[in-house]
Amino acid sequence: MIRLIVNKLLQMLFTLWVILTVLFFLFRLGLPDPTVALVTDGLSPEDRALVTERFGLDRSLPMQYVVYLGNVATGEFGRSFHYNAPVTAIVAERVANTLVLMIPAFLISYIVGPLLGVLLAWKRGSRLEAGGITAGLVFRSAPMFWVGMLLIMLFGIRLGWFPTSGMRTFPYEAAHFFDKIFTLNFLHHLILPTIVISLYYTGLPMLIMRNAMLEVMGEDFIEFAEARGLSKARIMYRHAARNALLPVVTQAAITAGLAVGGQVVVEVVFSWPGLGLEMFNAVRTSDYPLAQAAFMLMAAIILVLNFAADVVYGRLDPRVSYSSEGAGG
Amino acid sequence: MAGSTHVSAILPKEQGAEMRETLMLLVRAVKQDRLATFGIVVIVVLVLIAAFAPLLATHDPYVMTERVEGTALWVHGDRVEIEAGIAADTLYSVSADGPDSYFAAGAGGEVVRYDGTEWLPVETPATETLRAISTVEGRSITVGHNGTVLWLTGGEFEQVPAPTEVDLFGVSLTDTGAALAVGQNGTVLHLDPENGVEDWEPLQAPVQRDLFAVALLRADYGYIVGARGTLLRFDGEQLEEVDSPTFRDLHNIAIFDESAGYAVGERGTVLRYREGEWIEEQGALTRTLRAVAMVSADQVQVVGTHGDMMRRVDGTWEQVRTGYTRHFRDVTSDGETTVVVGTDPYINSLARPSQEHYFGTTHNGRDIYSQVIHGSRTALLVGFVAALMVTVIGTNVGLFAGYLRGRTDNVLMRIVDIMYALPLEPFAMVLVLLWRPGIHIIILAVGLLTWRTTARIIRSQVLSLADRPFVKAARVAGASPLRIIYKHIAPNVLPLAFLQLAVAMAFAITAEATLSFLGLGPPRLYSWGTILHQARLSGAWRTAWWWVIPPGVLIMLSVVSVFFVSRALEVIANPRLSRR
Repeated sequence: MIRLIVNKLLQMLFTLWVILTVLFFLFRLGLPDPTVALVTDGLSPEDRALVTERFGLDRSLPMQYVVYLGNVATGEFGRSFHYNAPVTAIVAERVANTLVLMIPAFLISYIVGPLLGVLLAWKRGSRLEAGGITAGLVFRSAPMFWVGMLLIMLFGIRLGWFPTSGMRTFPYEAAHFFDKIFTLNFLHHLILPTIVISLYYTGLPMLIMRNAMLEVMGEDFIEFAEARGLSKARIMYRHAARNALLPVVTQAAITAGLAVGGQVVVEVVFSWPGLGLEMFNAVRTSDYPLAQAAFMLMAAIILVLNFAADVVYGRLDPRVSYSSEGAGG
Repeated sequence: MAGSTHVSAILPKEQGAEMRETLMLLVRAVKQDRLATFGIVVIVVLVLIAAFAPLLATHDPYVMTERVEGTALWVHGDRVEIEAGIAADTLYSVSADGPDSYFAAGAGGEVVRYDGTEWLPVETPATETLRAISTVEGRSITVGHNGTVLWLTGGEFEQVPAPTEVDLFGVSLTDTGAALAVGQNGTVLHLDPENGVEDWEPLQAPVQRDLFAVALLRADYGYIVGARGTLLRFDGEQLEEVDSPTFRDLHNIAIFDESAGYAVGERGTVLRYREGEWIEEQGALTRTLRAVAMVSADQVQVVGTHGDMMRRVDGTWEQVRTGYTRHFRDVTSDGETTVVVGTDPYINSLARPSQEHYFGTTHNGRDIYSQVIHGSRTALLVGFVAALMVTVIGTNVGLFAGYLRGRTDNVLMRIVDIMYALPLEPFAMVLVLLWRPGIHIIILAVGLLTWRTTARIIRSQVLSLADRPFVKAARVAGASPLRIIYKHIAPNVLPLAFLQLAVAMAFAITAEATLSFLGLGPPRLYSWGTILHQARLSGAWRTAWWWVIPPGVLIMLSVVSVFFVSRALEVIANPRLSRR
């Protein structure tokens, strides 16, 4: 177990290094003059010299690369052009905002989805099953940003039930992050975007769970449980579901990666001050250091989530090998 | 080459038979599944829409559609009320015919009359555009293009033979029956009441410029305004040019008495007549002013384009906020009630769905239905090209990793893992940040990143195929790995690859819409995502549901159709699933 975790951890660091390298060369490819990416206009000569020195811009490309890796390792991403402040401080808060929206939505999807999937398998051949499958596919097909727009239009503007943008109603005072989120006002803001994300992601675990359940239900131990006279609900949710959960966990790891990227549109639609919105704005204002850091952090979040899924997976199935499920992307 | 002739002579036949069988299976699977049938129908319809988009679109999706409509605006103090659609086309002029009774004339020879309760059309023999109307004590005269002159006597309009061939822009009638009409190239026509209504006498004007309006106080006192600041005085017989303080076009003039008058024109120009002199005055507006009406020497109303209106009260000009952006053409006022007519073509912004615009219009009057129709091309094209790229890369990676195994497999699967760690939308954003938004960025981002799933699925299929007897036989016969992969294994994963193509296409359509929605798509090419992007940028999406719903429904329909069909195909492509 420990060996497995260490192994996965090393793999994660390796992947992170590859991504950092790709990003470094991508930026050099797109911006042959790296000072453009790090030095904003109107910087004093002293500051310019400081940035040049800190990022090794006066040295050769391989040396720049080494300096870049060192800077990333120590959390030095430069200064944001737009905010004129250290990037690290800006993104730190945004990451928290992103996670506080993503994690609840993701948990809802991967708790409700499999439970519904069991129900669909249980009610096999019924109208409920057909309706559930269709609904799952339809919600997966509707782009999240569009559903967000519709919900804002209906519940935010027409009915006025929910706020339509941001995390809190302005103006507000919060001494620190938890002070900000442990309020009813925050929950009120959280509801609509959470619904949007959950609607989109619930369909897949539901369908995968249903398929896996149908496979498991044909096996001997289920028949044995039935012969023992256990109740149908108990068989379904205790015996069959536990054994059908593996592909869902695999999918959770993959979806976590997709969700970090998909989160961007939701944050844009709801003006949620997270990492995605920050990156979106950074791209529009050509704020290179901020965009770079935001991207790295998103990749890092995916890696950590994948790592967590791997560990869970290892606990569930000692054989640990990736099976393939049609995720679409 | 000679050795392979024998084999290839047999293979195509066998493969052909197998293909036909697979095809039959496909058709049956789709037919049995109602959702899949629905999906196929929708996909075919969408492809047809994309193919015939130029024929199906009712408008050019880039053109801001304009609307022309005769409008009246009532102003009572600070209360503004609009009556739209009282005439089919622009109304150019309005004149009062006593209290609560008005005439308005406009394009296409149209005249409408307000009788105290509503605007009613009045029959006229004219077909030319009528530019001005003047009414005094029950008699009206209206003039227009190509020398059109109409008299209203006894409730009916009568056309008199055109006294000139040029367009007439202005007319003024006095209570004695004397009248002046002005028009193109310095044309001035004078009517002496003693000579009958048809006998117009041309007057020699000191300028050749277009004359736009005339105001007569009496038969021997009046002023004419025209292009480039032209100001002419009429003394009953002759015209005399007076010093003008401006070089801008003057569009309208009003005379209250011999000591008070106003003229208005281009760029908010306001001229005031005082003590025998015209002087420029600072108004409250900066765009073109079209008409001026005087109630008293210091109570003046002015209207202009884009819904502009201002009034002079107690010696200062103040803007009247009408809340409309239509172009106003003329104004008349009795102090309490002010009537404004006009509406040149105006941009038909945020119109609700109608016969004319099935899905309504955008904030700058573009037809949303046509945008959605044209957008289907981009969506399907980008979806298909990106999906093809994904399938080609993914299938090849899967084939090599699955067949060669060992180190190759390890390296390739490590790359797949790395791909899974790159978030698509942010990756596309980085590309746009470094280069420029465009269709290629979207295809590139989707194509380079999302082959990971296809690769994994094909690989696991290849792993199970590689141990099958026919592969072993080929290896024993000395076939090269490349040959085995492409000749023997690839045909067997082809159905699965096609299924992945379908799934990848659904994903690519969503991805294209998402990236275009974020503004990372081509700026001058419509796609469903771009339409929603523009709706978001305009801010109008919060209320303009007709702008938001249609493109989203089409994205959803196309994606869900692919899902429906691919579910039915899964059974064939992956026989493992059939027992479920």
